[in-house]
Amino acid sequence: MSHHYLHFERVSYRYPNGYEALHDVTFHITHGEKTALVGMNGAGKSTLLLHLAGLLLPTSGEAIVGGIRLTPRTLATIRRAVGLVFQNPDNQLFMPTVEEDVAFGPANMQLTPEEIERRVTEALAAVGALHLRRQAPYHLSGGQKRSVAIATVLAMEPSVLLLDEPTSNLDPRARRQTIDLLRGFDHTMLLATHDMEMVLDLCPRTIVLHDGRIAADDATAVIFRDSALLDACGLEAPCSVRSIRKEESIE
Amino acid sequence: MNDRLQTALYALERLEEEARRDSPLHRTDARAKLLVTTIFLATMLSVPLARLSEILLYALFPILTAAQGGMRYGPIFRRSLFVVPFVALVGIFNVFYARTPVFRIGPLTVTEGWIALLSMLLRGLLATQALLTMIGSTGIFSLCRGMQRLGIPRPFTTQLLFVYRYLHVMIDEALNMSRAREARSYGRRTFPLRVWAPLVGQLLIRTFDRAEQIHRAMLARGFDGRIPDCTGASTPWCRRDTLYLLGWSTALLATRLCYPVEKLTRLL
Repeated sequence: MSHHYLHFERVSYRYPNGYEALHDVTFHITHGEKTALVGMNGAGKSTLLLHLAGLLLPTSGEAIVGGIRLTPRTLATIRRAVGLVFQNPDNQLFMPTVEEDVAFGPANMQLTPEEIERRVTEALAAVGALHLRRQAPYHLSGGQKRSVAIATVLAMEPSVLLLDEPTSNLDPRARRQTIDLLRGFDHTMLLATHDMEMVLDLCPRTIVLHDGRIAADDATAVIFRDSALLDACGLEAPCSVRSIRKEESIE
Repeated sequence: MNDRLQTALYALERLEEEARRDSPLHRTDARAKLLVTTIFLATMLSVPLARLSEILLYALFPILTAAQGGMRYGPIFRRSLFVVPFVALVGIFNVFYARTPVFRIGPLTVTEGWIALLSMLLRGLLATQALLTMIGSTGIFSLCRGMQRLGIPRPFTTQLLFVYRYLHVMIDEALNMSRAREARSYGRRTFPLRVWAPLVGQLLIRTFDRAEQIHRAMLARGFDGRIPDCTGASTPWCRRDTLYLLGWSTALLATRLCYPVEKLTRLL
């Protein structure tokens, strides 16, 4: 299981229109680590996730995902090893029923019907959505959609989970449930998010992206205490950290 | 505009809900229903236009299948009325070309053209009603599966499935845009081209964007160009399906070949 790591070595990516979304990005995330990826809108978070999921290829540099080098040939293998949960579950859920949507990935892997059935049941049970299996995706609530979107990825039994804004547009309870769900997973995990409270809650490590470059890569606690860095990158420490800081300054 | 979009969305959802109910027709295999509906269309549409009374007999098919499916015929009839303008547009020329009188009702002379127009309208209505009962008792998704299992090439069935699935998304998107426009048009009722054109253009671009995102989501889960058969869709063909297919196809073919209405009137 030790090959479930993510490694970027001087990765740059330029969109066809010339915009450089990633510049010389280097990091290493080891097996089972939960890491947050934060940064302003347009800092390059989504582009980075698309690379890790084998949906974009670096213009230069080397990306190794789950022990496999990212090249045009290995895309299919990497897509199997990595589960990407998209920001908008409406884009992720495209099959007529929840059940079929969750089965889509395993069916593409050409597993036996029994194995597909097992994976669908387990994945839906893991996110607490077993009772929704025969529903149509567009009838679900926002929180349910998110849970099912996570289940569709779990059914592929990936070693690495990538999540783009897992808590956006959720009501407080659904957000809490999603966070608790993610806490229970032992996958290598990278979360791109603006939800700083969740970062504090869930991820011991944080990578800060700014203008396509890594501005900082450290323990979450250290990053949230560095107000100069946060300011420069257009970020804000979570409420709880700010209030502690305020108390310290009063003392 | 908003209301109409919303109504369209609800109508789609109602159709799906209807398809999830239970009745003898709902339990019949999608393939049997597809085949019978095809035979119905082929036989009904091949009756010559002059034989209006024969075509009228075919109205029994949608009425009976709707009853078998526990659906009320009234709403189906009302929904099928939308084809009338289209068919009328095509058929109206018959009235001008075929002026040979057929019979008189008081001062009214009925020409061949009028008969042909009425036949065409009836054909249009019946064809739509048959399709509506089939979709209403099966659901688009099972129907697509059924088509796939009948050997219709995947590109077509997959296309149909996605068009239907994303109709919801597109109507939603259009609804949002139209509401945003209304929120800032301060009661202005007109919809000038200057506003309308960019709105439609943007809807197209948004749809492209959406399509790309969906495509990525599919690739991320190992999509290789064809929709795999997922769970639960393959119900076996049973005796009920054979009976349904045989019963209706015999009845429909017999009606087509023997012209029973004409024979009956001659007998009388």
